[in-house]
Amino acid sequence: MSSLSAPGFPEEHVRARARGGTAAVFPDPAGYGTRLYGPAPAAPADALDRARIVPPVFMPERLGKLIDLAREPEFSDVGLTTSVGGFTARLPLYLSAFGSTRAGSGDLAVHAARQAARLGIPMVIGENMVPVHGYRRAGDAVRSALSARIDAYLAEVPDGCGGIVVQQSTEDADSEVWNLLYSDPAFRPLLETGRLAFELKTGQGAKPGLGGMTVVDRAEAEQLARRFTVRDVFGEDSAHRLRCATPGTFTDEILRQQLRFMRNNFPKARTWVKFHPGRDVDRAARAAWAAGADAVTVDGAEGGTGWAPGVFLDQVGLPLAECLRRIGRPDGCLLATGGIWEGGRALRALALGARAVGLGRAALVAVDEDPDHGLERLAEALALELRLLVSALGKYATTALGPEDLWWPDGSFAAPAHPADDGTGHPAAVTTAPGEAARPAGGAV
Amino acid sequence: MDQHPAPGAPATPPPLGEHLRSPRLRAAMLVQQEALYAARAYLRGEGFTELLPPLVGPVTDPGGRGAKALDVDYYGHPYKLMTSAILYKQASLHGFPRLFYIAPNVRVEPEETAGTGRHLVEFHQIDVEIADASREDAQEIAAGLLTHVTEHVWTAVPGILTGLGRAETDFADVRAGKYDVHTHEEAVARLLAAGHPQNPDGEIDWAGERLLSLESDRAFFVNDYPKGSRGFYDREDPDNPGVLRNFDLIAPHGFGELVSGSEREADYATIVTRMRESGENPAKYAWYLKEARDGIPASAGFGMGLQRLVRFLTGLDALWQVSAYPKLPGVVAP
Repeated sequence: MSSLSAPGFPEEHVRARARGGTAAVFPDPAGYGTRLYGPAPAAPADALDRARIVPPVFMPERLGKLIDLAREPEFSDVGLTTSVGGFTARLPLYLSAFGSTRAGSGDLAVHAARQAARLGIPMVIGENMVPVHGYRRAGDAVRSALSARIDAYLAEVPDGCGGIVVQQSTEDADSEVWNLLYSDPAFRPLLETGRLAFELKTGQGAKPGLGGMTVVDRAEAEQLARRFTVRDVFGEDSAHRLRCATPGTFTDEILRQQLRFMRNNFPKARTWVKFHPGRDVDRAARAAWAAGADAVTVDGAEGGTGWAPGVFLDQVGLPLAECLRRIGRPDGCLLATGGIWEGGRALRALALGARAVGLGRAALVAVDEDPDHGLERLAEALALELRLLVSALGKYATTALGPEDLWWPDGSFAAPAHPADDGTGHPAAVTTAPGEAARPAGGAV
Repeated sequence: MDQHPAPGAPATPPPLGEHLRSPRLRAAMLVQQEALYAARAYLRGEGFTELLPPLVGPVTDPGGRGAKALDVDYYGHPYKLMTSAILYKQASLHGFPRLFYIAPNVRVEPEETAGTGRHLVEFHQIDVEIADASREDAQEIAAGLLTHVTEHVWTAVPGILTGLGRAETDFADVRAGKYDVHTHEEAVARLLAAGHPQNPDGEIDWAGERLLSLESDRAFFVNDYPKGSRGFYDREDPDNPGVLRNFDLIAPHGFGELVSGSEREADYATIVTRMRESGENPAKYAWYLKEARDGIPASAGFGMGLQRLVRFLTGLDALWQVSAYPKLPGVVAP
């Protein structure tokens, strides 16, 4: 029984995986022996999905693995444990931020937190949770929405992996969210095990350049009006109001100083940064790494979950593939989000330099389908596909992937003439498409 | 961070009644009384006016190093108890170009500072601000204040100080007005050379500060902290971007920081930008920014920790021993 829908997102596929797990990776076995299989007709796809994943014939890395194992390697020999923004993650995945919308901050988020913990992957908690939903104060018996997610995560996360990442936006800064958490004794175990990070959020894929937006009723609107701008955009008679947060103002220097501020004031917490798919995302990412960010997240324009104006959803921001192309070889840990739900798209993002990919809408739909195990099954299906694909490419770790593993039919994301064989597994460079003006190094377009 | 108690310091105070009856506290309070008397006399003699500071406001010093402000409900508005009245000091300069407070402050310091011997949740500052002054002007007043207070206390109650184990030689340099000066960069280099992992972009951490203080026989200034390590109101050096025109005054023999101060940023647009750089929402500071837009005088100033000063004078191990009503970070006390 579902209460959530995600138009434009492969919701039914995600629900099938949340129910069936790894079985949903394959065709229905009932048809085995009586049905001939081939590619499905091409569906509309963004640039990332248009890339074919292209295994080579000759596989020196498989030979290396064979020598190591003294037997032929199998897909199950692919290791998926990786380092994500200073945390150990058992899969190259993390749970994306949902924020303070009704869909993103209720019970579904708590179920998602619990399952992300069991999977041993990091969880990001979005902005505006404290100004909207409050925080445990002295004498309060009820824990806040934020605390509920953290408690659920901590109750299930295995030792030695995972981590919690908490965003802070402008309005959160008024509430001193990071300060509250950093000095809350409940967080001491996380700090002592190096599993707390703070994420400076500069924007989001669904609405680049805008702050968080939620729909609230009149009573809520009055309550929130002191902390947020509340607008009457749905008509005077409507029971609904639009609550807007500010996006925050960033320049090179503001970003650099805010990161320094975070590291100076919260030295035991990791420092993450999230960017919207802006045209200068490459410059921004480099500035963040240079300032010591442990992870840089790029949320492509395909990203979602949040409430956003239609014109932004349809017309604003760079697609994830273009963000990754512009960033090229990352200087540090790069994380990518935007319409990720299965192994192929995840692998393409990893091949273009991401260390891990975030699950946002997919995670919410999966826990909506099955609050107890939906996200786990979805992630297990994705992990199986990744193992199959990575081994097919003759590699055995996701960090070994590179742009040579991808091919675009229209050539728009052509891999470099000499694929990155420098041992890093990261792209040495991604060439400019034919006919596309070469960008000056480091310059924004 | 230093999580070890200062040598010889009991970790926590006894029950309050017992603490208030102790002869050691009585001695410390007599020293404090003389120190306050001398501080007021010195500053008034230098042309300063004493104001009484505000206790609550819509904003306070945003602080750092994990210290939090306490919230209070002020007719339905979320107000803060002052962690420092620095913004009010700046705003007061129009009417009072040389002013000081003996200011109570509340800072909910992180629990790991309970054992430093140098942190209390409630404490007082001798808070000084000087219009049209440079860092060097402020340092001269800070040094003069310390010299004068020390001279007075040693002269007024020598028996109490010697009874607590202090000797005349402990104060010779301070009474003679001899101070060393280092830059933050030099202090970081010394700490790194000594094997202490000091972050070059940040404040000198507690342990590092203690090391520097222990190594030194003479009080010293540390100048030029990097931008990002201190509040938005510390002025950036126009000739040396990324470096602040600020300072600390560190006592010798392990007693650590007594004073933090700086030239202040008075340019409206720069203040707003610096607020953003420290992650702040300028809207919170509406009243202060209105003053800044209308024109706040350029100034320099500092805060001298009163309990830290008394601890230095008495030679006691921990700040709680020189506070009548001590509240240690993370320790719930009456």
